[in-house]
Formats: sequence, C-alpha cells, structure tokens
Amino acid sequence: MTIAVTAWLGAMPGFMAPLLLAALGLLLCERAGVLNLGVEGVMALGAMVGAAMSLAGWSPWAAMGAGALGGLAVSLPFMVAVIVFRAPQISAGLALAAIALGASAALGRGASHKPFPGLENMTWGGDWAALPVVGRMLFQQDAVVYLTLILAGLMALWLMRTRAGLRLRAVGEDPATADASGVDVQLYQFGAVAVGSLLIGLAGAYLSVGGSNIWTEGMVAGRGWIALALVVFAQWSPIRAIGGAVLFGGAEALIPRLQAMGVEVPVYLLSMLPYALTIGVLVLMALSKRARQAEPGFLGRAYIRQDR
Amino acid sequence: MTHSFGPTRRALMAAGFAVGLTGALPVSAFEIDGEPKVAFIYAATARDGGWNEALDDARLLVADELGLDIAVVESVPEEATALKNAVDLFVSRGFNVIVGTGYGYSEGILEAAQLHPDVAFVNASGATNAANLEGFYTRTYQGWYLAGMAAAATSDSGKIGIVAGFPVGVVNWDVNAFALGAQAINPEIETTVVYTNSWWDPVKEGEVAQAMLDQGIDVIGNNLSSAAPFIAAEKAGAKSVGFQLDMSQHAPEGHLTSVVFHWDKYLLPTLAAIQDGSWAPSEWGAFPGMADGTVGLTPLSDDVPADVAAQIADTAAAIEAGDFEVFAGPVMAQDGTVVVPEGEVLDDGGLWGMEFLVKGVTGTLN
Repeated sequence: MTIAVTAWLGAMPGFMAPLLLAALGLLLCERAGVLNLGVEGVMALGAMVGAAMSLAGWSPWAAMGAGALGGLAVSLPFMVAVIVFRAPQISAGLALAAIALGASAALGRGASHKPFPGLENMTWGGDWAALPVVGRMLFQQDAVVYLTLILAGLMALWLMRTRAGLRLRAVGEDPATADASGVDVQLYQFGAVAVGSLLIGLAGAYLSVGGSNIWTEGMVAGRGWIALALVVFAQWSPIRAIGGAVLFGGAEALIPRLQAMGVEVPVYLLSMLPYALTIGVLVLMALSKRARQAEPGFLGRAYIRQDR
Repeated sequence: MTHSFGPTRRALMAAGFAVGLTGALPVSAFEIDGEPKVAFIYAATARDGGWNEALDDARLLVADELGLDIAVVESVPEEATALKNAVDLFVSRGFNVIVGTGYGYSEGILEAAQLHPDVAFVNASGATNAANLEGFYTRTYQGWYLAGMAAAATSDSGKIGIVAGFPVGVVNWDVNAFALGAQAINPEIETTVVYTNSWWDPVKEGEVAQAMLDQGIDVIGNNLSSAAPFIAAEKAGAKSVGFQLDMSQHAPEGHLTSVVFHWDKYLLPTLAAIQDGSWAPSEWGAFPGMADGTVGLTPLSDDVPADVAAQIADTAAAIEAGDFEVFAGPVMAQDGTVVVPEGEVLDDGGLWGMEFLVKGVTGTLN
C-alpha cells in the first residue's frame, strides 16, 4: 500500500505541472481582462513544436523553449484581433483553438508517432528520495515541476506586491480608470497575453517533451479546457492555482493506478471532477459577494476609449 | 473458422444463393460502370502510426497489384455531412469505388450509398451494409489469443497487463482473448486491463503502463497505437505486445510480437470482384479472420521459449484450419458465471456484443 501511494504521489507532479503552467498563463491573460479560450489549441501547437524540435536533435530545454515560442507565434493573430481591433474575445478565442489545433496537425505530420529522448527527472536530495510516501514526490521530479511552483509564487508576488502588477490588475478590473491614470491598457494586455501564450505553449511542450516523449495529434486531450476551469476554481489566484492543479493532477494520476490495482473506480465520474468542481465554485461565487469580487471586473469585454 | 469465408467465396455463394432462390433472376452481383476509380477517405492523417496507416499500407499494395491509381483524402470528420460532401466530390469526378475507414462513417456512408446506387462502397469497421455497401473488420481476437500465449510464457511475475481504449465489443474480445491465450500456457496467470476511455492520449497511456509496471506486471500489451506504453515497458526492462502495425521499433529489446492487420487480403479480392462484376456485399458485413490472412502476428521474439513458439504455431494452424475456436465453451466471466456453455461456440452476434471480461482478468467495464 505504501509503495502504491508513493508511486501515485511520485507521478502526481508530472500531471500537475502542465495544468499549472497553462493555468498561470491563462491567469495572466484574464487578470488583464482578456479571456483566452484558445488554450487547448495553443497547448497542442506547443506540444507539436516541442516534439518536432526534439526529433531534430535539440536538447529538451531548447525544444520546450521553441514550443513556448510556437505558442506565442500562433497567438499573435488573436492578440491583434482582440487587443487592437477589439474583436469579441469568445469567438476569437475559439477560432484560435481551432486554428492552432489544425496547424499542429498539419505541420506535425512528420513528427507523429516518433519517440525521442525527453526530459529526465532530477536526482537531487540523495537518500531523501527513498523516503516512503513523499520521497519521490518531493525529491525526484524534473526541473520544470520545481520551476513551475517557483513561478506561481513569483507571479503571486508580482501581481499583488508590485506597481506593475497593480497596473495589470487595474487594466483587468477597470480599464477606463487605469487609462485615465496613465496606464497604457493595450500595452499591458499585449504583454500579459504574450507572456501567457509563452507559458501555455510551454505547458503543451512539457506534455510531449517531459511527459510522453512522443507526439500524436490530439494528445492534449482536453487538458487546456481543464486549465480554463482551474483558473475559475482558483479564483484567479496563482497560489490557489497550485492547490487546484495538485487536486486535478492528483486525480488524473490516481485513476489509472486504481484501475491497474483492480479497484472498481467510477472513471467517468472522476473525469467529470474538474468541471463539476468548477461549476460548484461558480455557484458559490454567485452566492457570495466576496467571492464574486475575485473575477476581474472587465474580463472578456472590449475596452474602447471614449473620444476625449 | 467455420464461419469465415473468403470474400470471393462469399460473393460466389451469395450470388449462387440468390440464383437458387429466385431461379429466374440473373446473378445479383453488383456492377459498376466502366473501369474502377478508387478513393480512400481517412478520418485523420493516413500515416498515423496505427489504424489508418495499416489501411494505407494495404492501399499501396492494392494499387500496385491492380495497377490502379487510388485517390486519398485525409482528415474528413466522422460525421455524415462531412463524409457525404467528400463522397459527392469524388463521385462527381467519376470515382465509382469509395473506401471508408472508420466506424464513425457508418451512418454517412449508408446515406451516400443510397444516394449513389451505381457506386461501390466498403467501410473498415463499418456497421452498415447495403446492396452496394459492405462494412468489414477482422477477427483480431485470434491474433491476441496467440499473443497472450507468448506473454504468459515470458512473464516471470505471473502478471501481465493490457492497455485498451473504450470498453466496446471489438476491444473486449482482444482483452479476453489475450487473457485466455495466457491461461492456456499458465492457468494461474493474472491479466490486468485498464481502459483509458480515449483512443488518443499518449500521456495517459504511458502512465497506465507505468502504473502496471509498478504493480509488478512484466508484460504489457498495447491495444492502442501510441508508442508511449512501449517506451515505458522498454525503460523498465519489461516485455511488450503491439497492435495494428509492427511496433517492434518502439521497443527493440522487449517486444514479443505485434498483432497486425493485412487489409490487402480483404481489399484485393474485393476490388478484383468489383472490377470483374462478381461482387455481392454481405448483408452482415465481411468478417474474415486469420484463415483469410487479414490478421496475423509478426515473427515472435527469441525470448519466447521454443516449445511455446511451436505451440503457438500449432494453435495458429488449428485456427486457420477451423479446428480451434478462441471463445469455445466453457467460458466463464470474472464472477464465475458461465457465459459460453460447454460444447458451444460464441457466435458473431455474441462477439460484437461482448460485454463481459473472462475469469482471471482484473479490471472493470465501466
């Protein structure tokens, strides 16, 4: 039993990291008032680019960097449409998802079903990694897992404790006021969505380079939509997003393990969990005034400066 | 293999049957106008490393053999309107033989077949049939039974596993045959199945394989087509069994064998029959097996002991000769209830509707 729990907890961070990375990227977009529904497709493109570059002989880190840049590149039309031309964010986001999914399938033909050496786990902490239950989880992960957790902390600090973070939040809450006090709304939105797209692309690249060591069409398999749910679940807080990613990633790692042990698990019920929890949070938010304030006030709306 | 007739033989029999019944009517075989112009329609990319690629390999063989140029369209979604548009385009360009490649095309291709009665349609794993439409699949469970024998012979822990997609009949019969074949070598063997509830999720498939390896399972059968389970098995020094195509490249050390499709063995005689006007599609669809060569094993790895390899060869010969049935009674379900009584053989309807796992399998169909 201890061995099974150790193995499960050891596998959990690998599932948590891509969800958390994508959620952090989304969180940044949404804090700036931009709803990015393209995340599933941007992750798919990042996964494909990461795999293609790995197959071309790039190191895992360079390949993941390329995946992140791929995520940014495919998001550029979305950014221009939404931020410059104020296109409706929901339709533009869905279009981005479709375009990026299609582009990853079309461009990735040559990279499909070809295994490559991926990211290795770090072996630090020495004997600590042999600890029962938490040893593997804490001391035997790849570097991306640790860096993602650090990034979540830094993002929380930046958002809540710096002037630039305050301005970004102001843009998402009330762009007119931010504008009046001299904040360049479009510049902040551009920056937020650009960095967010890099993180989302990286999340996808981690799936192929850090996770499966192979790329196939459609391998993101809904994780982008789960990340969208996760941001709502975390109420736009990077720290709470860690908790949500641990919960959702833990469930994802648990299901196959229970099945392999022969435990009868309601698979469909557990697959529903992220979405069911998110609806639960939305209901709670609607009921509680304090929780309702967590959502960026101008999220999903186009800000058009009045003629002055 | 008493039920399995080659397509040509079936065509002859059906035609003969029709003549015998009606007497006056001429042979009711289907005929196309002029030379065949063949088009394949795929739901994803043709070279997908699995299902489509096995069909596309057959397409290349058939084109070569019959001297035809075969057109291809890829990524046509599995919905009726998208499929019908693709078919209409081909037909308007003079194509008269359409090959669909998925269960999801079943409805759309039936509508298209009714709309174009002078065009011949066949559909891989299709569930619909008509006067000019035949769905076809193959008895994959025969190959998986033999692969199970190889798995049991090479397992040190007495525990083997199989990673599968959705718990539907065509998947369940592979799982059950794998377990029954393994039990023929080692009656005590434990077979674990995990359904990923997806056809495409290499991340999850790799994790399932890893979870199995953590449980002491040392042979992993992969009923899906991503390489992730092979990579995990190879890393852990475990053995593996592949499906659809020869998967040995993904696990050069530990690969035992792959259960592979040879669709040319169906398509070649069928297209030849369409060409010479003797084609009569079966109203139940074509369901050939090892005897027809549509499914088989790749050469066994040297890790399989010689005596078991000989036993596998004997069983294969018996299956091909019709002397051995995988689902011959008594077959017991997980809880010990008898699902196929002694002296009986599960019929094709029972195969397609297989909603049980056999005794000795750990896992659930939910």
